[in-house]
Amino acid sequence: MGFPTPGCNELSRPVFTSTEERVRPARLDRDRGLVEAARRDPASFDALYRKYLAQVYSYAFYELRDHHAAEDATERVFMQALTGLPRFEERADSFVGAGGAGKPAAEIPADASTFRIWLFRIARNVVANERRRDRRRPVASLEHATGLASADDTFETAAAREAGSAAWQAVARLPEDRRRAVVLRFVDEMSTAEIAEVLGRSEGAVRVLLHRALRSVAADLRARLS
Amino acid sequence: MLGGSSRDARRTERYIDGLMDAEERGAAEAPTDLDLDPAVLYAARELRAGLIRVHPSFRFEEGLATRLAKTAGETQRTPNEQPAKVLGSSISPFRSPQVAAPAEGVARPGRITARDALATLAAPRRLSLTSRPSRPLVVGGVGVASAAISIGAVYVAWRWSRASQTPMVRAARAARSGRAYAPGHGRRAAVLHGILGVMS
Repeated sequence: MGFPTPGCNELSRPVFTSTEERVRPARLDRDRGLVEAARRDPASFDALYRKYLAQVYSYAFYELRDHHAAEDATERVFMQALTGLPRFEERADSFVGAGGAGKPAAEIPADASTFRIWLFRIARNVVANERRRDRRRPVASLEHATGLASADDTFETAAAREAGSAAWQAVARLPEDRRRAVVLRFVDEMSTAEIAEVLGRSEGAVRVLLHRALRSVAADLRARLS
Repeated sequence: MLGGSSRDARRTERYIDGLMDAEERGAAEAPTDLDLDPAVLYAARELRAGLIRVHPSFRFEEGLATRLAKTAGETQRTPNEQPAKVLGSSISPFRSPQVAAPAEGVARPGRITARDALATLAAPRRLSLTSRPSRPLVVGGVGVASAAISIGAVYVAWRWSRASQTPMVRAARAARSGRAYAPGHGRRAAVLHGILGVMS
């Protein structure tokens, strides 16, 4: 396919070629509309809250392993996000950094959201503070201590069942950084690029973290079976 | 060149992507990768099946939604309801019948929110011959200048009406009063005559 003769709109190189992998379309935050609406009218933040509640809560729950602590952390995360929304800056090049500069367009997550990354960074900080506080003043939840689920809460039964599962146990034994990467990957279904942004590490480092985490889990499960 | 560990890590990443895609498509069988360690494949499948996303209780969700809405209302009201500052002066909000009258069934507090003021601005104006168009009242700043002009005018009027103590002016006034009763002349004309008489 030929390109037009040089003119006022001449480009120094063709834009759409099969060999050019470095030219990537700029993806916009998929939550841009919701974020803009929430900025104009903070009452519209409810849509973002409903969209990410389960993800943030799951992350907090898998990290803190106590649903009361997870609820507290979730509340803090969304409160901070609501009050800090005017300071949020969408970054279109968010996925270019952290080792993604030469990444082909096909590998950029289609559902990339810098708002989600920003939200999970808040969540990471909140959960880290919560864990720090727990280390200073360890408090075991009653459900954990007794192993009983309250009858009026169906979540408790689900959580108790999950807590007993082999996967849960294996993940709980992982070092912090590996566990965090596994939860973000398998529970919150984030891409490697997004996890790298949330954890502040390179994509290569996250890939290695996940690979090693799977090896550890495999060894754990094998030991359990034998 | 990628090292062995990096290559395996990249391969693992692609496998997890494939696993999730297959689940999303509702594929009957999970994908497989013969070059990848079977233990890693097994662990990935176990984690995908075992690590479910948990949702908080409905009670918590609705409670937090209410608290967020309350906070959102406060953050929205706080910056907007404060009067706008213009060079040390304050602008009072528009007052029109549409804004002043509370909406049906809604008990409004005495304060007018900025949103109401904006709604009034956005609404088409109804011109009335009997009512003056409402304007924002600027207190301070520009008002200081208009106040100075008013004080000056009052001072001139006071000086005008007050009898002077100097003999020259008294003489001029006496001369003026002598001609002030000319028919067809008002007080102002008499005063002008007096001044012109003194000047000439």
